[in-house]
Amino acid sequence: MDIRLMKPSDIPHVQQANITNLPENYFCKYYLYHALTWPQLSYVAVDVSRPPKTPYDPPKIVGYVLAKMEEEPADFVPHGHITSLSVMRTHRRLGLAEKLMRQSQRAMAETYQAAYVSLHVRVSNVAALHLYRDTLGFKVDKVEAKYYADGEDAYSMRMDLTDMQLKDEKKKKPSKEEVDDEEDEGEAVGSEGKKPSKKSGGKKRRVKVGRGLGVGDLVERNESSAKAE
Amino acid sequence: MPQPLNSKDAASFRQLVKLYEAKQHKKAVKTAEQILKKNPNHGDTLAMKALTLNAQGHTTEAFALAKTALQADMKSHICWHVYGLLYRSTKQLDEAIKAYKFALKLEPDSAQIQRDLAFLQIQMRDYAGYIESRKAMLQARPALRQNWTALAVAYHLSGDLESAEKHLKTYEDTLKTPPPRTDIEHSEAGLYRNSLLNEMGEAEKGLEHLETIYDANLDRTAVMEARAWYQLQLGQSEDAEKSYRDLVVRNNEYRPYYEGLEKAMGLDRSKSDDVAKLTELYKELLEGNDRLDAARRIPLDFLTGEQFKPAADQYLRKMLIKGVPSTFANIKALYSDPARLKTIQELVEAYTPETTAMNGDANQTNGDSKPSRLEESRLFFLAQHYNYPRSQNLEKALDYITKALEITPKSVDYNMTRARILKHKGDLAKASEIMNHARELDEKDRYINTKCAKYQLRNDENEKAIQTMSKFTRNETVGGPLGDLHDMQCMWFLTEDGEANFRQDKLSVALKRFKSIYDIFDVWQEDQFDFHHFSIRKGQIRAYVDMMHWEDRLREHPFYARAAINAIKIYVMLYDDPNLAHGNTNGVNLEGLNAADKKKALKKIKKEQERVAKEDADKRDAEKKASPPKKTGGDGEPKKEDPDPLGLTLIETKTPLDEAVKFLQPLLEFSPKTIAAQNWGFEVYVRRGKYLLALKCLIAAHSIDSQQAKLHEQLLRFSQTIHSLTEPLPPKVKQVLDANSNIIPEFSSLTNFNDAYLSKHKDCARRTQSGLSARRAIGQSPQSDIEKNLVKALDIEGITLKEALEGLELLKAWKSDTKAYVEKAKKVWPEASAFGEGSDS
Repeated sequence: MDIRLMKPSDIPHVQQANITNLPENYFCKYYLYHALTWPQLSYVAVDVSRPPKTPYDPPKIVGYVLAKMEEEPADFVPHGHITSLSVMRTHRRLGLAEKLMRQSQRAMAETYQAAYVSLHVRVSNVAALHLYRDTLGFKVDKVEAKYYADGEDAYSMRMDLTDMQLKDEKKKKPSKEEVDDEEDEGEAVGSEGKKPSKKSGGKKRRVKVGRGLGVGDLVERNESSAKAE
Repeated sequence: MPQPLNSKDAASFRQLVKLYEAKQHKKAVKTAEQILKKNPNHGDTLAMKALTLNAQGHTTEAFALAKTALQADMKSHICWHVYGLLYRSTKQLDEAIKAYKFALKLEPDSAQIQRDLAFLQIQMRDYAGYIESRKAMLQARPALRQNWTALAVAYHLSGDLESAEKHLKTYEDTLKTPPPRTDIEHSEAGLYRNSLLNEMGEAEKGLEHLETIYDANLDRTAVMEARAWYQLQLGQSEDAEKSYRDLVVRNNEYRPYYEGLEKAMGLDRSKSDDVAKLTELYKELLEGNDRLDAARRIPLDFLTGEQFKPAADQYLRKMLIKGVPSTFANIKALYSDPARLKTIQELVEAYTPETTAMNGDANQTNGDSKPSRLEESRLFFLAQHYNYPRSQNLEKALDYITKALEITPKSVDYNMTRARILKHKGDLAKASEIMNHARELDEKDRYINTKCAKYQLRNDENEKAIQTMSKFTRNETVGGPLGDLHDMQCMWFLTEDGEANFRQDKLSVALKRFKSIYDIFDVWQEDQFDFHHFSIRKGQIRAYVDMMHWEDRLREHPFYARAAINAIKIYVMLYDDPNLAHGNTNGVNLEGLNAADKKKALKKIKKEQERVAKEDADKRDAEKKASPPKKTGGDGEPKKEDPDPLGLTLIETKTPLDEAVKFLQPLLEFSPKTIAAQNWGFEVYVRRGKYLLALKCLIAAHSIDSQQAKLHEQLLRFSQTIHSLTEPLPPKVKQVLDANSNIIPEFSSLTNFNDAYLSKHKDCARRTQSGLSARRAIGQSPQSDIEKNLVKALDIEGITLKEALEGLELLKAWKSDTKAYVEKAKKVWPEASAFGEGSDS
């Protein structure tokens, strides 16, 4: 199994792996939003030993991590967030989840100066908890009561990444101004692409109800604002 | 001409625009109407009202009003812009571009119109137009870096890499002080420029440029990969070796890094002299890295014979002792080599607790690993091994999985494999049952839930399958679980559900599903639109370009091909027998009836159909009452109830072949090497009398596999069709036909041609079926003879269940008696559901 960056062409099968394995699902555009905003952060595990059946065989994705940077961190500290991680049942016990996570975490620190990475996990998900806490070194930050729509609590976990950040010999760590200095004239595609909370595990908070399919709100509003000019 | 309003109305107009933007549509319409009371011919207001109506879903009205607006004020850029927006919203992008261009002519300085036009141009891949638009946008705001980058992207996508690179460089040269290191846009722009140099084949220049951005660049993986690649291209072996070693340290589960390293070291897997060195290299790379798989597994790809055996032995033991469930999946690629297959089979069959304890890898066996674990893993491995096509022996497979289940009856994995073996035996009912049993062993795991639903669909249990799926879907969404699966673009379910309906002759629902796959591909194509703006703004250019290239060949995905071929099949069936549109005829053969009886029968069928539809609607209503659904879909969009959930309107098309062509064109454009695509292209075009296109499909199929079964039969039919034409072929077609006379058999020699094929392929079931089918098509022998021979073909050695089922399909298509065929097949595949009771009805 190869571990490599997720490409846009991988998305149909990342999406398929996601809806095969997990209750929290997203449409194509939400994956595109990740892949095009932070192209360094999402990784896939690919079964490369599969003999091709057609000239158009897509890579066989057996696991993925979909990751992002928090766009407006409440604590003003740049940090990453794991949106979704799963490995096919048939490919467990190979350590793929850990390997995917490590690649993604390093890229968060190197490319976006993430100070830490956060994620949520169901309190009942013992296997995932083991991976995050014991294998990777995450710490439970807090318990979020009834985080999931079905009423289950979540552990909010995080892991420090400062050791992985690139250290520039000549310069100090980036100042806050530099980090926040991005000129941004439009709205995000992302939160608009996100699926609203769902019965069996969707996230309850911080979700602007999405406009995913078709034209985004963004384009039409910008286009029509011409009228006022 | 601009139509001035008095100051009060002008203020109202501004208010109207604001209300529209805030999506307060009702208020917007009211405001528009107030202005229009006093100024009934005010073009801009009429246009804004049209735009608002469109947003409310009144598209037809909106278009009519927008036309009135234009008649009132032809010279208003707002009227033209709105006209463009309406076309844009109905996805008529060509028309939208035309309207925007008019608007821009009237208001050349409008950045907004220019921008809207540009995005449509690139969405339509109008590269020349896009370059022009981007030039204008750059001229308007040359200080903005993204305008330079965007023009470079425009050139790049159009294929002009030099101009692309030049524009990036021009902007860079204007930078007096380098931006801060954390400027991601700058970091990306540097890498984008470098990737252009690489694409231009300028390795030397590329490496030189890379070194200037290397240290400061934020995308470490990308710069490291690029450096190693350039060094390898330039023959800087030592440097390249070091670079690839660094990459392997960074990510040791990525084969291209290992391949790069081998190349840098001048090692060649096919040279026997190098194999020892390679073995040494991988041994070294493995040291101290117990959790690493790639370096352990790769040597099995190049080792052969006596060297292969101990290496495979070591690998297999380690994995089996650890109990890695994917061991077989990881190893089966080696089975393309029969020698390796044999070695692996012998090794694993011989593993016993004793041999492992004595000969096993000392590191692995001391202490914690129990022999019983190995024995269990061994049984599981062998069950999968004997279930795999290249090493198939389903009795043995079943035997091994039964033994594994005796040790751990509650293993989800073992039960799942048992279900798979049963499926291969053709016992779909039992397979579905066992998969459901596996699901019940771990109800919180969606993976096994998914598999269970799939097996239920394979067994044509559509109701059960959606119920299974509903355990993990958002059921309060419009359309319930199925609605959620549509919103979440769950391709596999829609496809399998469609195929299951197809098998049960529920053509309308089947068609509905395949059409929904087609629609999702449209959505995926539309999804890129926002990123033309967004990505340039974010500065992540390489990823954007990558997406554009993916979108360009979106429909080459097998998801598309599979759905399209199914849809085309249905449309061809509908063309051949329009009565199929009336649904299941309950065994009534309409062909034999006189007009009055036929009418009566059709009426009866229609009534039955309405009854089913009503039942379905009542059920939905009852469900709704039980849990009132939300008005939005899973994507948060407002959703309306599907007015045609059973596809009854869809299937009543009067032009099935036109509909088929819609599916066919992308199929032939993007999957020309898929022989089934060419096969179905032929079927559609020959029915439309498009002989040149039909011939093109035959030629393409011939170049893929000249002996393909389906093609053979089509060649004969084509020859026959051409021969029986009453009008002569157009000279051009005749010319192409003559030029391909080596492919298309002469009409006078069809019998010989077919008999030669049949005797050449007498050991191949599928080709024999095709030859027999051709005999029927050209009337070579009586149907009863052909049917007998088809039954006889079941004796062909090595005939697979799938082939036998295809034979059965032929008989059904000919409306022949299937009894003799089924009886015989049942003896060979006693468990197969398809040959069980009721299948000969």
